[in-house]
Amino acid sequence: MAIAEFLLFVLTTTLGGMFLCGANDLITIFVAPECFSLCSYLLSGYTKKDVRSNEATTKYLLMGGASSSILVHEIELQEIVNGLINTQMYNSPGISIALIFITVGIGFKLFPGPSHQWTPDLYEGMLHSWFSSFRDYECNRSIRRQKDHPKMIISWLLRTNQIRWFFFSIFLTCSYGTKVEKIEKNQSFTTTDEGFLEKLRIIVAFLSVTSKVAASASATRIFYIPFYFSSNEWHILLEILAILSMILGNLIAITQTSMKRMLAYSSIGQIGYVIIGIIVGDSNGGYASMITYMLFYISMNLGTFACIVLFGGLPPLAGFFGKLHLFWCGWQVGLYFLVSIGLLTSVVSIYYYLKIIKLLMTGRNQEITPHVRNYKRSPLRSTNSIELSILFFQN
Amino acid sequence: MMLEHILVLSAYLFSIGIYGLITSRNMVRALMCLELILNAVNINFLKGNIFSIFVIAIAAAEASIGSAIVSSIYRNRKSTRINQSTLLNK
Repeated sequence: MAIAEFLLFVLTTTLGGMFLCGANDLITIFVAPECFSLCSYLLSGYTKKDVRSNEATTKYLLMGGASSSILVHEIELQEIVNGLINTQMYNSPGISIALIFITVGIGFKLFPGPSHQWTPDLYEGMLHSWFSSFRDYECNRSIRRQKDHPKMIISWLLRTNQIRWFFFSIFLTCSYGTKVEKIEKNQSFTTTDEGFLEKLRIIVAFLSVTSKVAASASATRIFYIPFYFSSNEWHILLEILAILSMILGNLIAITQTSMKRMLAYSSIGQIGYVIIGIIVGDSNGGYASMITYMLFYISMNLGTFACIVLFGGLPPLAGFFGKLHLFWCGWQVGLYFLVSIGLLTSVVSIYYYLKIIKLLMTGRNQEITPHVRNYKRSPLRSTNSIELSILFFQN
Repeated sequence: MMLEHILVLSAYLFSIGIYGLITSRNMVRALMCLELILNAVNINFLKGNIFSIFVIAIAAAEASIGSAIVSSIYRNRKSTRINQSTLLNK
């Protein structure tokens, strides 16, 4: 009985995201992210017994509800503007107001700069609950006999190399396939408890990544098609958002001690880079660069969230190629300020990525950890080939 | 004249709802303010759009999920105050 609920939530979330990517009118742009968000609230609050996840879900729900209501306010303003104003008056204040509302509404979903407060709390609350419940589940055989379906199913899936339910999200982007390979290769050398359980953060990885992809897809469609003629205004708005999110995300990530929060803040910074791609638009391959960067971002983030111990050196590098393309397109169009800030914050982000790698290499007592000893059988080689092929294909 | 009054009323309710959502210590009150916001948007649809029915349905779904979260919080903690939730601060 419980498994039906869990699978239903996951699949409906994916469905909502897919509807959002294929939205053609304003009603779908409202209903699809609502469908996605409602199921994400349910997924994040799935472990009812854990207080921290309850709190994280509360914050997520209130923020998400507020943002959806702001979005729907924008949509009805848009309707009024379309009904009352002739097609020649593009620069009316009504359009500006509608634009501001929709930027705020989408801004909450995508969490760039000013509205990022709930992200780290959400990640930390969810990861904590899933992590501890899985650890108790695996280490205690008496619990395993009970019919606790989602944990049973997920641990069975991971033990038997069959992560088929993950393939449903491949329709969103193709790089989920690389994640599946990572998990499958990870099976071979999970000697410690930690190494095995690190993989079980799939749910949070899934949520974070799909919400980003869906929201950025909707943002591109919304900003480019109906608001085409007032493009100066939303350029300015998005520039401000991009600057804020890049600076805030990367600077706060330096001071974090908890790895989950640090990754959450780094993902906020990544969204800043993606917004640059949205601003650039279609003329110089801006959308293409954004999509490429999203691919790299997805594989990177899924990998880090789900196998945090084995970060390795390659994922940041492949991501740098995506960033390079983004910055190059931005520079061509003329967004010099944005691109320079992006470069600075990329340098800052190298710092905390290297901190993770240093922790991986040296451990607590300045010794080489057993994971480094097992490095020869790492999955990173397979990830190498796939990302390199994506790179060559795109270039 | 009629148009203005409806817009002003909806904007007023919307702002009350946002204010209540931000400054409420009780979770149930926050949910009620969320409903208020969505209904404020709903009375703005002048042309008899089908969109308002969508908004009603989604507001109902969101209220039900919010109530489920509130009830699970209540079972764990025996209270629904939001300002007690300080576990996730850095």
